[in-house]
Amino acid sequence: MADLGRAALVVTLGLSVYALVAGGVAARENRRRLSDSARNALFASFGTTLIAAVVLAVALVRHDFSFQYVAAHTNRTLSTPYALSAFWGGQEGSLLLWLLVLTGYGALAVAVNRRLLRDLTVWVVPVLAGIATFFSFMLVVISSPFRTQVAPLDGNGLTPSLQNPYMVAHPPMLYLGYVGLSIPFAFAAGALLSGRTDERWIVATRRWTLAAWTFLGFGQLLGAHWAYVEVGWGGYYAWDPVENAALMPWLAATAFLHSVMIQERKGMLKVWNMVLVALAFELSIFGTFLTRSGVVNSIHSFSKSPIGSWFLAFVVVSTLFSVGLIMWRLPLLKARTKLESALSREATFLYNNLLLVALCLTVLWGVLFPIVTQAFRGETRTIGRPYYDFFLRSFGLPLLLLMGIGPLIAWRKTSFRTLLRTLAIPIAVTAVCGLLLVVAGAGSSRPGLIAYTFSAFVLATIVLELVRGTRAVGSVFTLISRNRRRYGGYIVHAAIVLLAIGIAGSSAYGSTVERRLTPGQSMTISGYTLTLRDVQRTRVPNVTETRAVFDVKGRWNGTLSSGDNQYFNPPEPSREIGLKTSWLRAEDLYVIADDVNLKTKVVYVKVLVKPLVNLIWIAGIVFLIGSAVALWPDAREQRRLVTRLAPARA
Amino acid sequence: MPTRSPARLIVALSVAAVLAVFLLYTALRGTSTPTLTPSQLANHSGKLAVVGVVVGPLAGDSHSPQGLRFGLKNISGKSSVVPVVYRGDSPPPLFREGRNVVVSGSYAHGRVSGSNILTKCPSKYTSAKPA
Repeated sequence: MADLGRAALVVTLGLSVYALVAGGVAARENRRRLSDSARNALFASFGTTLIAAVVLAVALVRHDFSFQYVAAHTNRTLSTPYALSAFWGGQEGSLLLWLLVLTGYGALAVAVNRRLLRDLTVWVVPVLAGIATFFSFMLVVISSPFRTQVAPLDGNGLTPSLQNPYMVAHPPMLYLGYVGLSIPFAFAAGALLSGRTDERWIVATRRWTLAAWTFLGFGQLLGAHWAYVEVGWGGYYAWDPVENAALMPWLAATAFLHSVMIQERKGMLKVWNMVLVALAFELSIFGTFLTRSGVVNSIHSFSKSPIGSWFLAFVVVSTLFSVGLIMWRLPLLKARTKLESALSREATFLYNNLLLVALCLTVLWGVLFPIVTQAFRGETRTIGRPYYDFFLRSFGLPLLLLMGIGPLIAWRKTSFRTLLRTLAIPIAVTAVCGLLLVVAGAGSSRPGLIAYTFSAFVLATIVLELVRGTRAVGSVFTLISRNRRRYGGYIVHAAIVLLAIGIAGSSAYGSTVERRLTPGQSMTISGYTLTLRDVQRTRVPNVTETRAVFDVKGRWNGTLSSGDNQYFNPPEPSREIGLKTSWLRAEDLYVIADDVNLKTKVVYVKVLVKPLVNLIWIAGIVFLIGSAVALWPDAREQRRLVTRLAPARA
Repeated sequence: MPTRSPARLIVALSVAAVLAVFLLYTALRGTSTPTLTPSQLANHSGKLAVVGVVVGPLAGDSHSPQGLRFGLKNISGKSSVVPVVYRGDSPPPLFREGRNVVVSGSYAHGRVSGSNILTKCPSKYTSAKPA
């Protein structure tokens, strides 16, 4: 079995190298048959990678501990779904998943576009093959999942905290996002290499970018929810380098998704779009370097891995390649039109882009700061949460405001007076909401109040747009189905508003109380009274559960328990929180029994009340709906695009 | 053919320059914390974070005035063991002897006074070696 997997990967490497070299030569010398052959090699590389993936999956399901990887990440007690999730539970499996998705995406994207965009795809093939060559080389030479050993009786198992449905879905979602960014990058590089720098590469990859961006965004939310319910520290995002590694390419891709609209419509920002798509791709690889290399301390990984330096080399080479290509083709990237006014939709999109990129680079600076200080001062210094929070507020709040202005402001130019007239209703709604919020006591946090009022403004503009549009066409469904991209975008905007309200509510208006309790003693927080009833220990298969049981009275009456689990195989502990979600009040009562002493019956407990935190998770669902609407095939849009791009193909 | 306005470039560069200066200022103003290994602690004092491997015996209770007491040594290479007294919330469940941790706090008189502990998260990114 392992031999089959190894052989499949060696063949993948060979096919990738062939597609790279033959594809490059064919594109340069315009040799059609050789180009077709390179393309077929790329298609075949997906097949051989799939064989390798199936071999590993079967080994995981069969608990074949003669595979070092299987023994390292699973044991016999794991159920099949969790055994399969170990596919991405370790480094080698993650790399294989990356290669599988890359070759699958690549083959599909090239197959779909090979006739309409032949002049581009002949260059896209070697670019994608170049990326696939790197990953297959890593899997064959540096980090193989098919190393074998004398099979032990049992494996190491999967850490209990990872035996969670969120962890089954979160990593592959991120990979689908990371790897998906390779497609627009490859098409952008193909456009530059072929010299066909019109908007066709953007049109061809719009849905790929949107899908990758959706996976990356939703994957992060899944990870955040896992941290919230499973890790048990009361938060959902810690600005850790590994978390930031996923956020940075998402921010760059968000900027790209907005700026391509300007290029499609006005022929502007061509260089900027090339830079953004390269940045998003490089950041997706750079994130892997950060998490694998051990150059920065992360709560997710301290250990150094030999693959880090390879990823750094790949980032350097691909960045030089991207910069070189853009510089080379600068004369072809001139704008068709220019920005006419600072008060226009184009300008608003530009401000949006600057803020998104600034936030992305700020996060990057925070991640790199320990490396920079080590290099220049000989001492590693890290930047903490206040730094990130400050810049999230500084760039995030104006972004929120722009999200409301952007869809309503006119193209080309407008006057301040006209803009005010257009925004009169949203401004009035915002003023009323702001006053009501101040009366309700939301003024205790200025950033929270601003976030809420800006959110009201954005929601008002979205509703206004929907009402106006519905009046024109008669039904909201007709309206959305006629322009899925636009209204899908509005739904995504609504999701971002929910996210902003959830983050602001849970961080700015939450409360925390810590107490030392013995049975019978009580504590109060935000209208809840918690009385420690008892501490108890129970033994169930594979785990000893220690719990502090609390009777809760006040705004909710019931029982909550919290404590820790001690697993036997693998011998790992996990913290277990008590959580009561009130959907009516949109708040969580979150109990962390910090230290439960069975002998003295003393419990150190931390209780948090987190208002509106659940809007963050609802935002994830709305985000998915909006993305699905925007992604849904739209025959009208397709016809428009084909008509518009026809001269470019001629 | 539209002409490229130099004003745009100037505005963009100005924004980038202001941002860069601001980032540097913010980062250097004191929001950053030295993150050291136990062997690097000797010439330091004040607020810092220490990255190391937990060395036993573990004694005491983080909630008591005496705190939870343990040692830290370098993750890689040889180093002497630095004593740590940690007071605060209970350390994370994964905290134990042999774990890699980051202890935030201060260093004085050859001892780390910790106020926060991070242990390695059970993450997909680690490359576990079979036993």
